[in-house]
Amino acid sequence: MNLSSLLDSFEQLSPMLAAGLATTLQVTIISLVVAMFLGVLVCLMHISKVRVLRGIAKFFIWIIRGTPMLVQAFYIYFALPQLIQLLSGSQFRIDVFVASLITLSLNAGAYISEIFRGSIESVDKGQMEASRSLGVSYSSSMRHIILPQAVRICLPSLVNQCIITLKDSTILYAIGLAEVMYQAKIYVGRTMESFATYTWVAVCFLLITSVLMLVSRTIEKRMRA
Amino acid sequence: MAEAKIKVTGLTKDFGDTKVLKGIDIEIDAGEVVCVIGPSGSGKSTFLRCLNRLEEVTSGEILIDGESITSKDADVDRIRRHVGMVFQQFNLFPHYSVRRNIMFAPVDQKLKTPEQAEAKAVELLNRVGLGEKVDAKPSELSGGQQQRVAIARALAMEPDIMLFDEPTSALDPEMVREVLDVMKELAHEGMTMVVVTHEMGFARDVADRLVFVDDGQILEAGDPHEVMSHPADERTKAFFSKVL
Ligand SMILES: Nc1ncnc2c1ncn2[C@@H]1O[C@H](COP(=O)(O)OP(=O)(O)O)[C@@H](O)[C@H]1O
Ligand SMILES: [Mg+2]
Repeated sequence: MNLSSLLDSFEQLSPMLAAGLATTLQVTIISLVVAMFLGVLVCLMHISKVRVLRGIAKFFIWIIRGTPMLVQAFYIYFALPQLIQLLSGSQFRIDVFVASLITLSLNAGAYISEIFRGSIESVDKGQMEASRSLGVSYSSSMRHIILPQAVRICLPSLVNQCIITLKDSTILYAIGLAEVMYQAKIYVGRTMESFATYTWVAVCFLLITSVLMLVSRTIEKRMRA
Repeated sequence: MAEAKIKVTGLTKDFGDTKVLKGIDIEIDAGEVVCVIGPSGSGKSTFLRCLNRLEEVTSGEILIDGESITSKDADVDRIRRHVGMVFQQFNLFPHYSVRRNIMFAPVDQKLKTPEQAEAKAVELLNRVGLGEKVDAKPSELSGGQQQRVAIARALAMEPDIMLFDEPTSALDPEMVREVLDVMKELAHEGMTMVVVTHEMGFARDVADRLVFVDDGQILEAGDPHEVMSHPADERTKAFFSKVL
């Protein structure tokens, strides 16, 4: 094994890598978009004055933070369909891509809601009071005064969560999502090329996460300026 | 006799087990300037914040123009529209320009079109002597300038009552004057004002009435010169011997 053979192997690997990465990016990006909306919703519930809403948000975050994502994936892909089957008495299966989306969205959504909440709470209390003292409603104050400032504060952590979710998506290989690790495993089974395959998988992740880290650092720098 | 602009009866406020306000009664007439003084922690801010319901009162009643703001079904936002507030820490919106800081509330509540609000913002900025700062960000202004913008922002709602909570306490000494001058002008124009302050000179020269608060109660109230030169209560005496 030498370096040129490692480079050569990239050519044979590339269709597999491309297919795997396409699925990885698809599931990650869609989940992150869903998670943003979920995150806003859960966060607003968490800070609301209504006790029931607060309770639901806390329960949801407790479940997600307190269980491994692998367990969450198995639960959504295997356990819940069986429960539904038992309750309804008819066949029920869930598509593996859909199960993956749900798992990743719920997972990222919980963490993003906490990121949002932290940022909102770090906005000076005087901002809400100043806005309310001008007769502006709670929702309008939230939308125009608090959230724009909170978004600025949370951007670096949010980009960081994108990196985490991208990496976490490899866990979904365990339920059979044809993402990059799943493809790589099959490829290695066929060719026995563990070293070259996993090296290239790692390089691909590093490339994408490095770009994101750069974005995060640029934002941080601009915020400090 | 006309009814009081602000009428406070039996106002109490607890934070958990701590009784912060222990029964405040006061009537303030339209156009009157009332200065509230007292030691730190005596409940001055809490009292002021009850007047526009930034704090929920524990018991008692507050009437503004005869209308209860403490009742369950009071339209708090509508009342706040004509009760402006100026904070010790300015609390300008840092992500907005000075112009948008002032325009925001009237436009958001559809009281003015953006064009009207902008014209008003420029007029108010000229009035507080900051006409050239319309496009500045709050962070580019000195403390005194920020506080004058904060006053302009409150005035943009065209309030007939203004509440000030130690508006000059966070300022460098050389900037106190420019803020007090704006407030003095407001007072002369007939604004009803409740001012929590440590500026005894302002209290003496501008206030119609001086109210001394200690431990959640009004110990003394009356003509500023009278209260300052002949304080009746021992605690008022002690307080003045420190600040005068
Ligand atoms: N949100 C709050 N929660 C608990 N205690 C409070 C709160 N706000 C004020 N207090 C207490 O109420 C008392 C009066 O505070 P404040 O009205 O700010 O006094 P002042 O403005 O006269 O210095 C203080 O002892 C303060 O610690
Ligand atoms: Mg205070």
